[in-house]
Amino acid sequence: MTMIEIGRLLRSSTTACVIGCRVSQLNTPAFGGMVRIPLGDGYQVYGLIYDIRIDDDGLVRHLVTAEGVSEEVLLDNRLNRNVPVEISVLFVGYEMGGRISHLLPPRPPLTLDMIYSCSDEELCAFTGAGHFGYFRHVLRAEDVPTGELLAAHLSQAHRAQCAGGNHSWGVSATQELITLLRDDYPTLMSVLGALSDAGLAL
Amino acid sequence: MPVNYQQVQLQIKEMGQNAPRMARDLRERADTGRELLAGFAKDLDYLRGLLEQAAADNPGLRCAAPREEPLDYVFSAPPFGEHLPVLLAADGSQVNPNRHDAVEFGLINVGVFRICPGRPLAPSEQVRTTLLYAQDLDSEQERLTEELVALKRDLTERKTLADLAALEPQPVITLTDGPLELFLQSRDDRRLDEQFDQYLDVLEELAAMNVATAGYVDKPSSDLVVRLLELVKLRDRPSAAGRERPLRGLTDAALFADLLGPGQRSAVFTIHSRTSQRFAERLGGALELCFFYLNVGRPDHPSLARVEIPEWVARQPYLLNLLHAALVQQCAQMAGAAYPYALHRAHEVALVTMTDKRQVAGLIWAELWKNGVIPGDMSNKQYLKDLPGRGRRSS
Repeated sequence: MTMIEIGRLLRSSTTACVIGCRVSQLNTPAFGGMVRIPLGDGYQVYGLIYDIRIDDDGLVRHLVTAEGVSEEVLLDNRLNRNVPVEISVLFVGYEMGGRISHLLPPRPPLTLDMIYSCSDEELCAFTGAGHFGYFRHVLRAEDVPTGELLAAHLSQAHRAQCAGGNHSWGVSATQELITLLRDDYPTLMSVLGALSDAGLAL
Repeated sequence: MPVNYQQVQLQIKEMGQNAPRMARDLRERADTGRELLAGFAKDLDYLRGLLEQAAADNPGLRCAAPREEPLDYVFSAPPFGEHLPVLLAADGSQVNPNRHDAVEFGLINVGVFRICPGRPLAPSEQVRTTLLYAQDLDSEQERLTEELVALKRDLTERKTLADLAALEPQPVITLTDGPLELFLQSRDDRRLDEQFDQYLDVLEELAAMNVATAGYVDKPSSDLVVRLLELVKLRDRPSAAGRERPLRGLTDAALFADLLGPGQRSAVFTIHSRTSQRFAERLGGALELCFFYLNVGRPDHPSLARVEIPEWVARQPYLLNLLHAALVQQCAQMAGAAYPYALHRAHEVALVTMTDKRQVAGLIWAELWKNGVIPGDMSNKQYLKDLPGRGRRSS
């Protein structure tokens, strides 16, 4: 299986972490994408990308005012200059000894730990384990675009599950969300609206 | 204590009152300078004669000497498109040894930026770092001066460029910030002379490879051409040349600002000076220092740079045109702040910050302990200066 590195950990807590990567590494991670952080001894943490932040600096701010930015300057700024992309990840579970749990990880990863993008198989394994327990981490997270994040995640996971032959996963996931949000009508409407916009007529 | 704003306010007011008169004087001198430039533009032999006469009376005379092109010559950047060669830009940064520090060391950091202008290829960067410590700090009982460190930095910049240029298919353009001409303040220091000779050796290496090398001076305050024109005003008293300054305050940039359109360069001149003479003595004159002015600004906002080149570049129109076109292309990358992109990036790569300095000092400190040497303490003066102040940060 190909392991796609997307960066290294900058800082973390029990519930989330921030990854730094170069602009040139930015092709792989996407909003709502699932990542894993292997920590050794069969322990790895899973998370969902909920924010991608690209910082500027003085030179970049100056260059945007230029009439045309040449290709070599563009490449230089993306490949050489030390302007990292910050990717925020919400922890949604972990794996230990081959068993996937949708609880928060017992300990967060450490600075400079490597982060990998999950393959379709890994995505199916995580989302297919248990009964969508990891949704509660997304639903209670603050400063996270909950509806959009769930729509992006469900869209990617549904595609992977269908490719693996599990066509009912999307419907089950949506029903679970409706159950979890039955007492929170505004959020439920926001989530269902996002799912609809994502073309998830489940 | 903060600045005494009451006192400074009075001085600023006085300065403001004098400013219109100074501006008027400068305008008059600029008019005179432009008239002389136009009037004697083609009298190159006459000007050379005046210069020879004045130099005989004043060996320290410093001014421009005309070459083949008329004084008011303007030349637009030739189109090279994607056919510009590799450009290597170098810049240096240094830590000067400070006896007040706990561990005394110097450091030279040279950053080189390699770019293929106009081609969609990713540029690359390189850093060379040299630590100046122990035996380097106490050569023949003489301390390493800031001037010597600066000269070592300049030498390392050019040496690095020569090494890297040798790996490229020729022609290559190499660029450094500031003039190629180096000024040695303490003339009685033998170490400075040695470094200077090595600097000339490196230029010879670049000449042997036929590299289009240049020093780029942004916002130049030089008045070499103005000084040449002053020789006309002082033609009856050549011994006063360089001592009396009828056009004092007028810069070459002001003289050429109206003449040169965006992307245009001036005529190439030779630098007549005592230091330049040392360059001219090498390789049959191939290292002699020349320069031209280049307008890298916009139609409504001229921005002049002075570009110093050695004679071997000045006498080859192809190399001169490559350099001219590359500089215009590089400055165009930087929107309203026209300055070669490659040089700015070399500066970024080379920059040594205070954090870097502290980090290196810590590494030296640890290494000394490991080897059983107890490092010294910082001076009491430095300790007190480093204490957090009352909201003011100054040295």
